[in-house]
Amino acid sequence: MTALLSTRGLSKRFGGLLAVDEVSLDLPRGGVRAIIGPNGAGKTTLVSLISGRFPASAGQILFKGRDITRQRPWHRARAGIVYTFQVTSVYASLSCFENVALAAQRRLARGALGQLWLDERALQARVAEVLAQVGLAGAGAQRADALPYGHQRLLEVAMSLALEPEVLILDEPTQGLAQAEIAALSERVREISAQVTVLLIEHNMAVVLDLAQVVTVMDRGRVIAEGAPAEIERDAQVQRAYLGGRC
Amino acid sequence: MSFGPYLFLAFLEGTVTAFVLALTALGLSLVFGVMRIVNVAHGEFFMLGAVLAWYCSTLLEGSPLAGFALALLLAPLAVGALALASDWLILRRVNYNPESTIVATIGLLYIVQQLVLTFYGPEARPVAAPVYFRVSFPWFGYSGYKLIVAGLAAALLLATWYAMSRTRLGLYMRATQQDLEIAQAFGVPVRRVYATVFALGAMLAAVAGVLIVPVQQAHYLMGLDPLLLSFIVVIIGGLGSLKGTVVAAFLIGISDGMISVFFSPTLAKILATLLVAAVLVFRPGGLFGDNRA
Amino acid sequence: MTTGPEDGGAPRRRLGRVVALHLAIVAALFLAQFLLPAYHYTNVARIMVLATFAIGYNVLFGYTGLMSLGHAMFFAAGMYATGLSVYYFEVTAVPALALGVLAGAVVAALFGLVALRTSGVSFLIVTLMFAQALYLTILYFNEITFGDQGFTLSRALAPLNVAGTAVPFSEPALKYNGAWLVVSLALLVSAALAASPIGRVLVAVRENEERTRLLGYNTFAYKLLALVVSGAIAAASGAAYALLFSYVGATFGSILYSIYPLLWTLLGGAGTTLGPLVGTGVMYYLIDVTSGWTSAYLFVVGGSLLALVLWFPLGIMGAVRARWLRWLP
Repeated sequence: MTALLSTRGLSKRFGGLLAVDEVSLDLPRGGVRAIIGPNGAGKTTLVSLISGRFPASAGQILFKGRDITRQRPWHRARAGIVYTFQVTSVYASLSCFENVALAAQRRLARGALGQLWLDERALQARVAEVLAQVGLAGAGAQRADALPYGHQRLLEVAMSLALEPEVLILDEPTQGLAQAEIAALSERVREISAQVTVLLIEHNMAVVLDLAQVVTVMDRGRVIAEGAPAEIERDAQVQRAYLGGRC
Repeated sequence: MSFGPYLFLAFLEGTVTAFVLALTALGLSLVFGVMRIVNVAHGEFFMLGAVLAWYCSTLLEGSPLAGFALALLLAPLAVGALALASDWLILRRVNYNPESTIVATIGLLYIVQQLVLTFYGPEARPVAAPVYFRVSFPWFGYSGYKLIVAGLAAALLLATWYAMSRTRLGLYMRATQQDLEIAQAFGVPVRRVYATVFALGAMLAAVAGVLIVPVQQAHYLMGLDPLLLSFIVVIIGGLGSLKGTVVAAFLIGISDGMISVFFSPTLAKILATLLVAAVLVFRPGGLFGDNRA
Repeated sequence: MTTGPEDGGAPRRRLGRVVALHLAIVAALFLAQFLLPAYHYTNVARIMVLATFAIGYNVLFGYTGLMSLGHAMFFAAGMYATGLSVYYFEVTAVPALALGVLAGAVVAALFGLVALRTSGVSFLIVTLMFAQALYLTILYFNEITFGDQGFTLSRALAPLNVAGTAVPFSEPALKYNGAWLVVSLALLVSAALAASPIGRVLVAVRENEERTRLLGYNTFAYKLLALVVSGAIAAASGAAYALLFSYVGATFGSILYSIYPLLWTLLGGAGTTLGPLVGTGVMYYLIDVTSGWTSAYLFVVGGSLLALVLWFPLGIMGAVRARWLRWLP
């Protein structure tokens, strides 16, 4: 079975720093893959390369069998690789509705004419549906920056969902959230992972153990271990890299 | 005069232009580098320098040299004071927001222009050079004063370089330019550095105006061309790069001067704009820049 | 400095109100010609044409967030394309206008392909320089363009064929209604754009360009589109000015005419559809009134810009939207 998303020898160099060093991984369709590692391991850089935020220095990225290494970020998003920012990146001064609508209209607007006029009711329905899916039903009219931080993270996820992703990249989604919010978000991610392949960067080991089927461990730009969560937890190399595990 | 000497003459003209342009553009570049704002009124500081130089020459009618010396002292001080006032009253109020600063300095530009128009008038008035002698080349005589201008400008450029690299103020400026938050954390008095840099940038422009006014004439609209040329220079040199500014100033200054001699100033400006277009297509960050815009 | 929050609830209801408001404004401007005294009649016509310029500027600045200091180049492109074609080739009004708009769009497209490779401050400076280069080029080809002095179209411009009658362009009613037609079209186009999916993307580009890219939008293409629309509308204004007020001159390509639309838009409220119209009107009368006592109108321009940025960044319609009518586009 061919993987949905693969990287082959992917590398990224910033000046003198080799942030991602020959990373090859295969992501099969479905389920949750977690990427863990200490700060500076290159996790965010790796997913930034996959989503196209910046170009790779070397290596290949394959999506559904096609080489997308040179593809521009907006093409990749349209193709189904969606990145959710580590630092909350919603449109602060716009309403929640507008935030999600921007993503949703990408899918609803078909062709050149669709750019000029859109069925408002269909858009409204879709936005309401996505907001409900993440637990923000009814928040449409509120300004995004009026939401508490945890809800802003949910809004980010909602925007990503509205794009109908095939690969959803979540970059430290639970950072800054309270325990109850983390539990709620984990539930959502579990539901989402039934239809969407999730690539999850996380420091919170409890969440990783709870959600992921496979865990990839990175340190200093390289993959040092890969396997089921339970075995990774016990792996000596991983423990050494993390200096104890939890961040 | 045959072509060779004519080329040499054009080259001399270009060099003088380049030095003065380097001085003016440096002021703009410093302000952008350290404060991350563009002062659209920068050309008006240049113009004020020239107008104040004319004023000084009328105060000391008998001796152009004394008038010049007075201007070199008075103009930068007055323009620096205006810059400090602008910083305190306007720039701080908008918290150095890039877009607001641009609009505010455009406002300042028109107010200064109108003030000069009202009190000085619409005419262009000449100012006598402080010293008059001709340097004799085998093919033509060249204005000695222009060479002095180049020399003085060069000295100021060196002084600025020295200040930037060897003095504490220079250290503060470079630190603030590199990383504002860390500079603040280290106790660099950022607000005062900003005010000082803004004033220094204005003063450099004012001195350039004083130096060039015996060659041109003092006119209330004379700030526009230096402003545009300075913009061209900082784009090509790369916003935020001082070395780039000086190099680009020479590139532009010499070619502008030479094309102006051979063809026309208008054509020189048009070509400079096309040059910018070319640089943008191939190197959006300028020749040395880091494109921090 | 630009807009307030967009209203998120019940888009359908909002759309109805928006359409009604804009049609009402258009109708009011039309009816005003029967109520205005003679002095104000030509003034309002001029305001409407210049407001079109501001409307075009607002598409790029208010909605897309790209400040330009060179919009005079689009205005001049339209004015000269139309003016020269009438003066030298005796082209009639409507084709000449179309030519003007096309010129603006082409200049904007070519300019954008080069300039949009930069952003922020660099972009700003580049707009200023290219506009100045065009201005200098107009002056350079003095024999053809008559430079600063300019030329009039009254001899070469054929009367307009309105439903069978030939109406000369000196006729005040034609000036007014021609201006009304141009500003109404510009207003409706900009409002439609703002309310469309494209408009939403433009606002997103303004707020956070990188995020917008990662949501699947080719932001360069959208910025270029905004620039071309903006340039075309600005050129329409220049072309209309040439035809209706029968004057083409290089002053309209100078820097002041790049600052004016910025001023009018800021005063009226950037990022609102009606802001440019309001701002142009208010500023026009402000300068008109003050020129009664002093010729120092640059003080008004400079002082207004300072006052706006220090104390009134939202502008008139921006403040109205923030405080009372949140559904204004």
